[in-house]
Amino acid sequence: MNGLSRQLNVIDYSLSSLWRRRFKSISVMVVFAAVIFLLASFQMTTKALTQAASRLLVMAPEITIQKMRAGRQEPIPVAYQKQLAGIFGIRRITPRVWGYYFNETHAANLTVIGVDPRLMPLGEKLASAIDTGRLPGDHEVVLGQGAEELLGGNRIISLFRPDLSLKPLTVVGRFRPATDLLTYDTLFLPPDDARDLFLLPPELATDLCVTVANPSEVDTIAKKIAALLPGTRVLTRGQIEKTYHAVFGWRSGFASVCLLTALTSFIIFAWDKASGLTPEERREIGILKIVGWQTADVILLRFWEGVIVALLSFVAGYTLAYVHVAFFDAGLFRPIMLGWSVLHPRLRLSPGVELSDVLLVLCLTVVPYLAATVVPAWRAAIIRADSALN
Amino acid sequence: MTALIELANVDKTYNQGQVNEVKALKGINLEIEAGSVVCLQGSSGSGKSTLLSIIGCVFPPTSGRAAIAGKQLSRLPDRFLTLHRRASIGFIFQRFNLLPELTVQDNITLPLMPLGVGPRERKERAARLMERLGIGHRAGFPARQISGGELQRVAIARALINDPPIILADEPTAHLDHALSLTFMEIMRELHRDGKTIILTSHDQLITGHPAVERLIGLSDGMLHVP
Repeated sequence: MNGLSRQLNVIDYSLSSLWRRRFKSISVMVVFAAVIFLLASFQMTTKALTQAASRLLVMAPEITIQKMRAGRQEPIPVAYQKQLAGIFGIRRITPRVWGYYFNETHAANLTVIGVDPRLMPLGEKLASAIDTGRLPGDHEVVLGQGAEELLGGNRIISLFRPDLSLKPLTVVGRFRPATDLLTYDTLFLPPDDARDLFLLPPELATDLCVTVANPSEVDTIAKKIAALLPGTRVLTRGQIEKTYHAVFGWRSGFASVCLLTALTSFIIFAWDKASGLTPEERREIGILKIVGWQTADVILLRFWEGVIVALLSFVAGYTLAYVHVAFFDAGLFRPIMLGWSVLHPRLRLSPGVELSDVLLVLCLTVVPYLAATVVPAWRAAIIRADSALN
Repeated sequence: MTALIELANVDKTYNQGQVNEVKALKGINLEIEAGSVVCLQGSSGSGKSTLLSIIGCVFPPTSGRAAIAGKQLSRLPDRFLTLHRRASIGFIFQRFNLLPELTVQDNITLPLMPLGVGPRERKERAARLMERLGIGHRAGFPARQISGGELQRVAIARALINDPPIILADEPTAHLDHALSLTFMEIMRELHRDGKTIILTSHDQLITGHPAVERLIGLSDGMLHVP
């Protein structure tokens, strides 16, 4: 009980001590909270993006087949479907036509996807991804949020074919903002219209989408396809998901390394401040010791001061990071995390905070700060009591 | 009377073995009885404060034997000296050594905090002392906002908060006017009546000649002499 009362008394004194030096305390807290904010923001943004990608990829084909030549992708013959007919477990093969349309007015690339949703197993779900309107029929198109803004919100749009002739399309819908990560710059239209836009012959497609009856068989079927169709690249949804994780993880990791450098600088700064004593601080420690505080009490005082500063900074930094990601969609880091593009998706990010993530940031920030402030506090605490005698 | 404080052949050397070595005390032999009022008299640099610091367990002597209430303190490490100091000694300093931003009450209760005394008891004990010393109305004032005489009484209250048997006062009236110095000595006389052992250092004749002072000890160049 006495030990607890002693701790409470020292905490009480630590709070009053921090308040007396409030300008210095608040300055340190602001800088520390900013470092924690940046670190936690990157962590939350990465997690939210990978989670969003995973959610959206549920609608992606389980296997995608692309034809390769000299390491580059080229159109794939639709007739390849027949060669795969013998593989047990394939439910359906759907040719897909997609590519990029360069809008010279805005110097931006739009993603054109031509697929017949009726031929996809989850095609009916695609309709639920449309915010207003319906799935496109012949000579019709559904736009992503960014593409719609870029094309001026017109009901009829005209796109240039490679031979510079114009292809008119009627806009019949717009994708929901929640799917922005994948659809923001998208023009979704029937495959024949996409072929017409790219002047692709009817016997060719960009890739073939394969759906399987048993999801646990995906890898086995992918291997069989690869064996049957040499010269093709067979991608599973799991591999695409891993690629997203790797891309976001790499960007986040790179940014984190940069931020850790900033954190290290701050810790060195904190060490320097903690190990150097002002004459007032020296006098205060001398007075405390002369009235009966032991060296251990003074170290305890410094420890609690460090804990209070670090925890307040952590709570402030982490809360700000959450607000930044959840309510402002990580506006500061979107260009870094989503890559360079004229059209940046405006998807809503929902950061899921897990205890392990909180502990990781806590260990990377609070623990080094405490080490940097408490260890030199020992040097301050061993001041001789008579240094206050005058 | 029994000797509460015993010093035998006490030497204190600062910066021993270095070019700036200073022998502050040389062969001090001194016994002070419990409940007495003693004044150490001497010029600046005579060793008064050093002697007071050794008696106050601030640091041990370089050589010789120092004991308080029969407990040998000469070879105790700093941690035990602090424990002994906070149990037995109350310090009053020439410049009061208060923390100016803390309130009067918080300054007074500083010695109780590492002992784990709760806030309510701290407040009650401080209130009793402040009433006794006539500074109750200043409890919530920051120390920087009160007068010199009040600061002196805050310092006395802080020295008494642990109810130590020994009060040490280093040049306590050096920054007080005549009236306040007299008031201070009256407070010391009261504490003496309560049974406290009081050791003062001063060259102020108002203190050295005050009737409350029972014994004068002269110090010159680190050695005792009869004043």
